[in-house]
Amino acid sequence: MAFQNRNKFCYFKENGIHDIDYKDVKLLRRFVNDQGKIMPRRITGTTAKMHRRLVRAIKRARSIALMPYVERGTE
Amino acid sequence: MRYYETIYIVNPNLENEVLDKTMVEIGKELEKTKSKLINHRVWGKKRLAYPIEKQKYGSFILIQFEGGDQSKMVDFDTWMKLNNSVLRHMIVGLDNKPDVYVEESKKEPGVDEEKTSEPVEDGIDNDDLPPEGAVEPEPEDEDVDEKNENTEQKIVVEEAE
Repeated sequence: MAFQNRNKFCYFKENGIHDIDYKDVKLLRRFVNDQGKIMPRRITGTTAKMHRRLVRAIKRARSIALMPYVERGTE
Repeated sequence: MRYYETIYIVNPNLENEVLDKTMVEIGKELEKTKSKLINHRVWGKKRLAYPIEKQKYGSFILIQFEGGDQSKMVDFDTWMKLNNSVLRHMIVGLDNKPDVYVEESKKEPGVDEEKTSEPVEDGIDNDDLPPEGAVEPEPEDEDVDEKNENTEQKIVVEEAE
């Protein structure tokens, strides 16, 4: 929802974030849709480098039950 | 030397003494790998994104340490897996040296957070209290009911007359 503006920009570059912590669930939630799926770079506009780090952080958060693998989306 | 972080989830219903015991136990086991503990602290009780062993909540505990014997880390990993008091654990490599967690300065905001969360519970308690307060008005209601009954009786009497 937050990514619907036309001008794509990397959230992490914009905010000067270099290391993504898997414990920062509030941040990671922004890059996941309501089903709990990781949103594509095409939509979020993150750089390839940060997207790789983001994916790793989200997957870590999932494995330690901080984030869901699957979530019931809007039906 | 590499730095690592271990996060593990413990049953949230454990008493503080038991929790401390398990933390000490795990710390000792980790020290067997000749690694130096930097931080070992309770991160907090959190809601799990999915139930683990039928638990909806879990106490998250963080250990940050300087890596010791690599081959013994495998033993530690399996030991953690076999440890029944640990619901789940994960060992992660850190890029930078972790800062030493200062308990007093950082715990205060944590306590504040707890305080902010507690008023909600207090609010619930207060919600519980008004019914107790409402217990007193109830007799009045009963009185009113009685009055109504009296009036009804009067009405009945009047009707009878």
